[in-house]
Amino acid sequence: MTQQYDIVLKVSRYDPDVQRAWVQDYSLKAGGILRFVDLFRKINDEQDPTLAWSSSCEHAQCGSCGMRINGRPLLTCELLVETAMQMFNTSTFSVAPLTVAPVVRDLVVDLERAYQRIHIAKPYIIAPAPPPPEGDEYRIVPKVLDRYVEATRCINCFCCATACVTQKNHLGPNAMLVNVVRMMDPRETAMKQRAGLLYGEQGLPRCRTAQACSFVCPKEIDVAHFIALAKQGAFDPVS
Amino acid sequence: MATSKNGLKIQSVLKTDVLIIGAGGAGLRCAAAICEQRPDTRVVAVTKVHSPQKSHTSAAQGGMAAVDPKDPLDKIVYHMFDTWKGSDCSADQNIIRKVCESAWDQIVWLERHGMHFSRTDEGRIAKRPFGGHMLNFGEVKAFRACYEADRTGKGIMDTVWAEALKHEVIFLNQTVAVELLMRNSRCVGAVVLMEHTGAFVAVLAKATVMATGGKTRMYQVSTNCRQNTGDGLALVLQAGLPVMDVEAVQFHPTGIVGPGILASEALRGEGGILRNAEGEPFMERYAPTAKDLAPRDLVSRCIMNEIREGRGCVHPDHGLPHVWLDLRHLPEHVHKTRIQEVCGFFRKFVGVEPQSELCPVTPTAHYQMGGAPTNEFGEVQKDPQHVVDGLYACGEFAAASLHGHNRLGTNSLLELITMGKVVGDRVVEYLRDAPEPGELPDEAGHRALERFSRHLEARGTERFAAIRDALRRLMMDKVGVFRDEKGLSEAIEEIAELKSRATQMALSSKTLVMNQELIQNWELNHLLDVSYVIAQCALARRESRGAHYREDFPDRSPEFHYHTLAYMPEFGKITLDQRPIDMSIYEAQGEHYERFAVIERKY
Ligand SMILES: Cc1cc2nc3c(=O)[nH]c(=O)nc-3n(C[C@H](O)[C@H](O)[C@H](O)COP(=O)(O)OP(=O)(O)OC[C@H]3O[C@@H](n4cnc5c(N)ncnc54)[C@H](O)[C@@H]3O)c2cc1C
Ligand code: SF4
Repeated sequence: MTQQYDIVLKVSRYDPDVQRAWVQDYSLKAGGILRFVDLFRKINDEQDPTLAWSSSCEHAQCGSCGMRINGRPLLTCELLVETAMQMFNTSTFSVAPLTVAPVVRDLVVDLERAYQRIHIAKPYIIAPAPPPPEGDEYRIVPKVLDRYVEATRCINCFCCATACVTQKNHLGPNAMLVNVVRMMDPRETAMKQRAGLLYGEQGLPRCRTAQACSFVCPKEIDVAHFIALAKQGAFDPVS
Repeated sequence: MATSKNGLKIQSVLKTDVLIIGAGGAGLRCAAAICEQRPDTRVVAVTKVHSPQKSHTSAAQGGMAAVDPKDPLDKIVYHMFDTWKGSDCSADQNIIRKVCESAWDQIVWLERHGMHFSRTDEGRIAKRPFGGHMLNFGEVKAFRACYEADRTGKGIMDTVWAEALKHEVIFLNQTVAVELLMRNSRCVGAVVLMEHTGAFVAVLAKATVMATGGKTRMYQVSTNCRQNTGDGLALVLQAGLPVMDVEAVQFHPTGIVGPGILASEALRGEGGILRNAEGEPFMERYAPTAKDLAPRDLVSRCIMNEIREGRGCVHPDHGLPHVWLDLRHLPEHVHKTRIQEVCGFFRKFVGVEPQSELCPVTPTAHYQMGGAPTNEFGEVQKDPQHVVDGLYACGEFAAASLHGHNRLGTNSLLELITMGKVVGDRVVEYLRDAPEPGELPDEAGHRALERFSRHLEARGTERFAAIRDALRRLMMDKVGVFRDEKGLSEAIEEIAELKSRATQMALSSKTLVMNQELIQNWELNHLLDVSYVIAQCALARRESRGAHYREDFPDRSPEFHYHTLAYMPEFGKITLDQRPIDMSIYEAQGEHYERFAVIERKY
């Protein structure tokens, strides 16, 4: 066996049945390469089956397991015990839900509520450019695609939205990205409507350029870069 | 309305035109097809995950096969042949034709609706080669897989989900379907449990589409997500309907030890070499020509053989047996550009640096070829001659069957979008004069509420984790890559025993609101039921075909040239039946028909 560590997790809990919130400590022994989701499973298996937490693919492709570990929003499926100990220089970790939506139970938030912001940003093509001939695709040369392809990698984990310094009346960084992608996508023509969303009240004017989004993004997307492009007015149809 | 002994009841009724159970790639492609053609249709889609976008389709990497009819080199008939051969001659030829012929149209549909395909210099959709896809009936590799970098599934998921949003499909997220509603052998919807509120809701629908996806979480190592617990198959079985070819489970040779995350075939394509504990590149011994790039089922068997003969390693942290994948000799630029994501997985998840260290891999359960049997329109069958009125299925959950006993890489994503569309079209036709689903049937919810009551009232000291782990180990050992009569018979007995132990798991909390322990106990029963059926079907198929490998019957046998059907309305009460394999291309005796005979499968 490789080295075992003594870990303490201080977990934010919430019981909707009696509307009680508290912090519960769990102590456990774990190998260095266990992931935080493995720790939660271990707690369920060995100590407390009632602790609720979310995950699905468990390899950073779906964005269901975002939480705040010692305050930092990240995906708990890709955080290994050893990495966390180095990152935070401790073996005691606070584990709390994301702040973008109400908590349902313990670490599970109502992501559906958070997703409303994405729905507002309309991830589909609103008004497609004139289509190519039957049976043919639109032509998009790599040079054009490369300008926005990084932004298409977003998995809507809402880590950036949690880290963002503007929490109120703001669609948030990932919803901005949805809009930016389609504004750079040559297949979209609804520029006016998109600009309205991007530069509207809940859009860019609320961004304070703290760049926390780029700092925390688990997919290492330079979110702030795309927002900066938008701030320069790069997609403003009037400019 | 049904009320269980301890007061569980259906709290409300929701009426809709179409209910989609499973909002993944297949389910939402179907939803989009319905809404495009019939914009005023009310469609309700349920998913276990937080948002449809989190469905497991999002994790697919490599690509989706399709031949552009204008392609100067590739031909649709080659794709059809490869699929037939890959299936070990047990796919249905009417389905192969339908899917391969409509493939390109569906790629174009995705592209026009905003999917971010990777592009060639001319701006066209780029294509890459993939295992088993060849030109000229097996001569040279074909560039046939359309892709979006190494996140093709995410591209599809994002596109169909966005379309469904645009058409105002109603989503019930973090909601599990718990019972199919049947009246006079017509399906009229389902009972669902909404986890956020703990409410049981009956959704009455004119048409119900099941698309619950993969179902291989009963194996110790699996690429499937946490939610792939075979609920859909269990629901169908409980409704007295059959499942088909469930013995056909594909093991991918290179899963990352521990989490079981997929390490794509591309790693070996770039020159990666498999080694045993002694450092020997053992594939040379088994397959002197194809070596590390032999077909998936063969490579998986070789790895397991090395492990069984004592030349494997045991991972110090996960305690799992494995072999090594050596990528150290690959040039720096290959590491940095072509296999960057997957190398990242090794780094992140097992703390290994592939440029300087060996990577631990082991065969991982990946895909189930079998599922709910449907005809070529995606209508669910109750027997080979009859379909269930109002019930449809598509995606990995369904077996039409495009894959027979072995699936080619990139053919699954293709199946989602082609068959999803086919089912959508059929539902639109059905809705034209489909009767209303009527009032809630008297018996509605009875079975599901009973089951939940049993979980809530269970007493005893059995632990969920112990049963889950025992099942996952035994499925891997006895119903995995290698099978034989003794192992399968033992497995059947052991699963039955686990099933009875599973009635004695007392819950720590009896709430219905977001009670993960309750849901996991409920899911465990599905894993046990489906495992039992897999083992029984594997025992009955006394031959080897595709991914189903019997050491005591290592060859394919003409005697078993059929699909396995299995019914199990109650645990243990199993009946097996057969469905003929469609050979319509062969029988039509058109051009190249001889390629579609029962042929030898050699690569
Ligand atoms: C890691 C990985 C890589 C892959 N790569 C490729 C590839 O490159 N090419 C290829 O062709 N194939 C690939 N596959 C296979 C392919 O991705 C899957 O077969 C396919 O995505 C399944 O899609 P689906 O729509 O049928 O199911 P899913 O996308 O899994 O959707 C199922 C839906 O059903 C819901 N659901 C399940 N049970 C219930 C219930 N009881 N109640 C309510 N909802 C429920 C789920 O929440 C989900 O929304 C890969 C698979 C994996 C795991
Ligand atoms: S931009 Fe990054 S952090 Fe923000 S939601 Fe997308 S993937 Fe998550």
